[in-house]
Amino acid sequence: MEISEETRIGVFICHCGGNISDTVDVNDVKEVVGSFKQVKVMDTFEYMCSNPGQEMIKKAISEYKLNRVIVASCSPRMHLDTFREAMKSAGINPYLLEMVNIREHCSWVHDDKKKATSKAKALLRGAVERARYLEPLTPNSLKVTKSVLVIGGGIAGIYSSLELADKGYQVYMVERTPSIGGRMAQLSKTFPTFDCSACILTPKMVSVSQHPKIKIFTNAEPIAVKGSPGNYQVNIRIKPRYVDLEKCTACGECAKKCPVRRPSSFEENLIQEKAIYIPFKQAIPNAYTIDKESCLFFTRGVCRICERFCKGDAVDFTQEEKIADLNVGAIIVSTGYNLMDPKLVGQYSFGLHPDIVTSLQFERLMLQGLHKLSTGEVPKKVAFILCVGSRSTATNGVGYCCKIGCMVAIKQALLLDKAVPGAEPWIFYTDVRAHGKGYEGFYAKAREHLTTFIRGRAAEVIPNGNTVIVKTEDTILGEQIEEPFDLVVLSPALIPNTGTKELAEMLGIDLGPDDFFLEVHHKLRGVETKREGIYITGCVQGPKDIRETTMESMATASKVATFLGKGRISVSPEVAFLISGRCNLCGICIDYCPTKAIKKGEKEVVIDSISCVGCGICVPLCPREAIDLKHCTESQLIAQIRGVSEEGKTSPKIIVFLEKMTAYGSADLGGQSRRSYPPEVRVVGVPSTGRLGIKHMLHAFAAGADGVIFIEGDDSLFRGDQLRERVIQLKKDLDKFGIEPLRLQSTTTTLPEYEKIMSLFDSFVERISKIGPLSQEKREELRKYLAGEQYATQCAA
Amino acid sequence: MQHNVPHEKDEPSEGMKLVASLTSKGDRSSFVKEVMKMLGGENILDCIQCGLCAGSCPTRFAMDYSPMQIIKMMHLGMREKVLSSSTIWVCSTCYTCYTRCPRAINLTTLMMSLRNLAIKENLVDKNGVKPKFHRSFFEIVNKYGRLHEPELFTRILKKSDLRSLFHNAALGWRLWRKGKLQIRAPKIEQSNDLFNILEKTSEEES
Amino acid sequence: MKYAFYPGCAVHSSSKEYGDSCKAISRVLDVELVEIPDWNCCGAVDAIYSYKPLYSVALDARNLSLAERMGMDIVTLCSACYYTLSRTNKLLREDSGLKNKVEEALSSAGLNYNGGVKVRHFLEVLLSDVGLEKIGEKVKIPLTTLNVASYYGCFLVRPPDLISFDDSEHPTSLDELVEALGASKVEYYGKIRCCGASLGITDEEVMLELSKNILLNARDAGANCMITACPLCHFNLDAKQKDIGLKFDLEIDLPVLHFTQLIGLAFGIEPKELGLHKICVSPKKILPQYVRSVA
Repeated sequence: MEISEETRIGVFICHCGGNISDTVDVNDVKEVVGSFKQVKVMDTFEYMCSNPGQEMIKKAISEYKLNRVIVASCSPRMHLDTFREAMKSAGINPYLLEMVNIREHCSWVHDDKKKATSKAKALLRGAVERARYLEPLTPNSLKVTKSVLVIGGGIAGIYSSLELADKGYQVYMVERTPSIGGRMAQLSKTFPTFDCSACILTPKMVSVSQHPKIKIFTNAEPIAVKGSPGNYQVNIRIKPRYVDLEKCTACGECAKKCPVRRPSSFEENLIQEKAIYIPFKQAIPNAYTIDKESCLFFTRGVCRICERFCKGDAVDFTQEEKIADLNVGAIIVSTGYNLMDPKLVGQYSFGLHPDIVTSLQFERLMLQGLHKLSTGEVPKKVAFILCVGSRSTATNGVGYCCKIGCMVAIKQALLLDKAVPGAEPWIFYTDVRAHGKGYEGFYAKAREHLTTFIRGRAAEVIPNGNTVIVKTEDTILGEQIEEPFDLVVLSPALIPNTGTKELAEMLGIDLGPDDFFLEVHHKLRGVETKREGIYITGCVQGPKDIRETTMESMATASKVATFLGKGRISVSPEVAFLISGRCNLCGICIDYCPTKAIKKGEKEVVIDSISCVGCGICVPLCPREAIDLKHCTESQLIAQIRGVSEEGKTSPKIIVFLEKMTAYGSADLGGQSRRSYPPEVRVVGVPSTGRLGIKHMLHAFAAGADGVIFIEGDDSLFRGDQLRERVIQLKKDLDKFGIEPLRLQSTTTTLPEYEKIMSLFDSFVERISKIGPLSQEKREELRKYLAGEQYATQCAA
Repeated sequence: MQHNVPHEKDEPSEGMKLVASLTSKGDRSSFVKEVMKMLGGENILDCIQCGLCAGSCPTRFAMDYSPMQIIKMMHLGMREKVLSSSTIWVCSTCYTCYTRCPRAINLTTLMMSLRNLAIKENLVDKNGVKPKFHRSFFEIVNKYGRLHEPELFTRILKKSDLRSLFHNAALGWRLWRKGKLQIRAPKIEQSNDLFNILEKTSEEES
Repeated sequence: MKYAFYPGCAVHSSSKEYGDSCKAISRVLDVELVEIPDWNCCGAVDAIYSYKPLYSVALDARNLSLAERMGMDIVTLCSACYYTLSRTNKLLREDSGLKNKVEEALSSAGLNYNGGVKVRHFLEVLLSDVGLEKIGEKVKIPLTTLNVASYYGCFLVRPPDLISFDDSEHPTSLDELVEALGASKVEYYGKIRCCGASLGITDEEVMLELSKNILLNARDAGANCMITACPLCHFNLDAKQKDIGLKFDLEIDLPVLHFTQLIGLAFGIEPKELGLHKICVSPKKILPQYVRSVA
């Protein structure tokens, strides 16, 4: 269909079966809007989203040769795609459609029909003004690399890798230590079924090593990540293990001869291992590694006995660090957890007596042959102290529950009971958490086996010769007790693994307040991060047990497959772009871009339209107005602001800018709940309130606004603290222009908190009513200023 | 307790009385708010009743309610029970609980604040001696500027308790023999300062 | 090294020997302690604070202002005073409302305090400013026959947000000092457990129980001597040792010295000068090698 050069707008108002038309006088609106320039046709219909409604629009497009369509109906979050499809089938670019929300944001929340109608007219006026500047846009289709990087070779990484590899993706697994397997390899048995941990893990490890689609890098770490979703370039540093993987048969002769002993980290420092070592027998790759820091050759230039005795000629001291360059479409982070150092909780005397150990050390002890570290005897009476450093707001702890401590202690108590006749496990707890399937029954089993449960966070652990005394209050009996034990097992808090902060920075991902990687949404987007194409699974997201980890890992694999599955991804065209000739490389936009989509070019910045998520935060920050945003350009936005602010004689006029996902959704929810608020409030949806600067404020006030509110989603890329900073600056700027800073307010919201934002509407309207409307003189002054401003965009007169 | 016995309309039955003995929400929130305004009580609602304070307390054996229970009673608004407990008097202010508390509750400072409140409301410990101890200490220091130990003892000792009189006299004798009994009151020179400071701060304290 | 010296009430009465021995070793170590002229009682933690909190803080602030006038940091011998003075300093720093009220009270006495004084314990001064090495050099008689149980008490190590020169759960400063003097340290349970403090006056039974456990644990762990760094702790463990014995039908017989006296002994200073004859539980049996006669 040919589109004529002149702008020809069609406006279609839906009755919504009375939902709109019972309150808003749609015919009155039709008349008024019909008088706007360039509106060629106005029509109303009972149900615009229905087939006849769609047909009506399509017919009008062809009959009137329309090149812009406005649909005034329910929230675009309902039917935007429906109407865009209609546009497509009528032969018009779907981005030439504008939707106006006169239901959730108008007819459902206002009782006064006259005022609701007047507001509907204002919203439509804004839409018409904006529509003039709409441009056709085409989503980018980008080819993606069908390979995935998995950082971390524990059970989480292993599960994601196997799922994806089975789906046909090439997986690169990068593991920091010399073997994959992670924490599960260190555990004895798992709760609540007593599966042998290594027995259920090692087959999976073998599958990973044998899978044709999985390539493992061990002793390796990512050092740089570049690129964009669907096409990331990652540099991996592979540290030399000084043993040839092809030749080593793991016979162990080298270790027998090595003269250097050092504490084994796999054995949680309970046992010594040699400088040349294999972390555990079932390690994969099944080969030895030399620890450079303790090896005599590297520290003093002598020895090399291992080399002499290796029958396979596998020891190679000339090995060097290698860098691997990988191209992947998506990245999964599964770097796991660490235990907090119990020394931080001084009263438990960790490190002052050999028979005070951590829960992980106890796992190793059970596999080494349970014995007291002081005398070698078999321990009978063992204390398990929970919550060491957990659930703490003090400086030596973390605020959250470790989630698995109770179950681990119960498991260890039952295993002790089985392994040692006459064993006496005691568990000192604050609250037993047995939340999963089968866990309550497991807890009951521990009681049946006469585990003694003492309710009270242990006060002190006191070394006493070859025994260790635990002092605590039994809070149920209300008595202090002191009991001697053969062994005391501390359950330390779970914290993110070492290097998590640095990795998060490298990837451009946020950490949450507890220093674990932050997911986008707690329930609805639990494995995604704020960067498209980067996912998280396992304890890197937060403490969890093995079942939750494997489930999460499969969810992650599924998400990755959805993302990369079609071989191409569609990239929204609503992205930032550079206006050539203005940029002077000041770099402000580079610092503020939340997805790191802007980089320094030679003469000007370069905006990666793939990484850009179209938030618009960069636009008002540019001192030379060199950046604009497609589908929310300066012209479009200012035109809409002016239209909404000018129309009608309502007083006061309040313009509310809602971030288009969460904040807008929240207002919709309020509408659905029919929570009424003053009709003086007019909504303009924006990608993010970060898109707005002083210029937009001035336009609003000049055109007729008396007050402005910014509402941003809690989970937005434009964070609450950044919003606050911006608003503080804007208030200062408004003050300079002689506008009361009180006329601007902001808040953040979560999706269900519509009551909060609507109460804000109520109180703000009251406040602005009290201050009174902005004076005509001030508006004149502002208009003059804006007209004379450099780079002023041309707005409809 | 007899069942199916007709009760007088206005008299709650035995069973009803038990339920009514827990405080009303109004009482709960008012005492909690009162405590939260005291030094040491700011984050009292953060307590998760883990009992680490009770386990660490060296004088807990002499308390009717453990420190943890005192906090619970504060949560439940049991103002009278808290202020009449032996706990707030027998606390030796050793700070072990605060040092170890995982919720960073300054229970020790709160105990001092509760003591202050109890003294203001003319409440006493079971031996009837604690408020007198604080009052006497203050009066002596306010008089001389420094503590005069013998005078403190004589003020607190119950004249009727012969055993205690004898026991402390023996202690006094032992100290005197070692030349450690402070016979003369150690008065500072600028004792006016004491008077002035007391006057200035008295307006605030009331 | 010059400091404003705050002895505390007890050092002038029931712990005279603590002050005397402190002066004696200060001379040897070239530490000059200038007693704050006309200092007043700090308020002893909660003794006055529980009754009149504002007065208590203002009264203690007087000491800080007197020291500030001298242009020196305060050094005290008493752990309770150490805590109280530190707390007053902190309260004035953090609570501006309180600071204003205290300033008003101080000015009515013609004084003012600008927050410029640091509060330090004499033990910490010896370890940080003098140093164990220098102390070791001055040792003339290594105390090799002494197995010393160091009693830290409460306010030398707690609360950690106010007092932090040693670990609050496993302190080592006194033990390191003991070893520097040539003696053997004794590990026992109770080195940071409360001795009962001022409960000795109002709830004597409780205090006796607490101090008893400390003494017995130390003795049973092999100590033949105990040292303290606070006059109130010393009083409870030494002067009241006889009462503990009477109440629990025990013979404890563990001499308790002030740590300054132990240092003085190692320095070869005359026991009379160190006031060793003023200790209630006689240290005679552990000292014959070092002294000619102890009263």
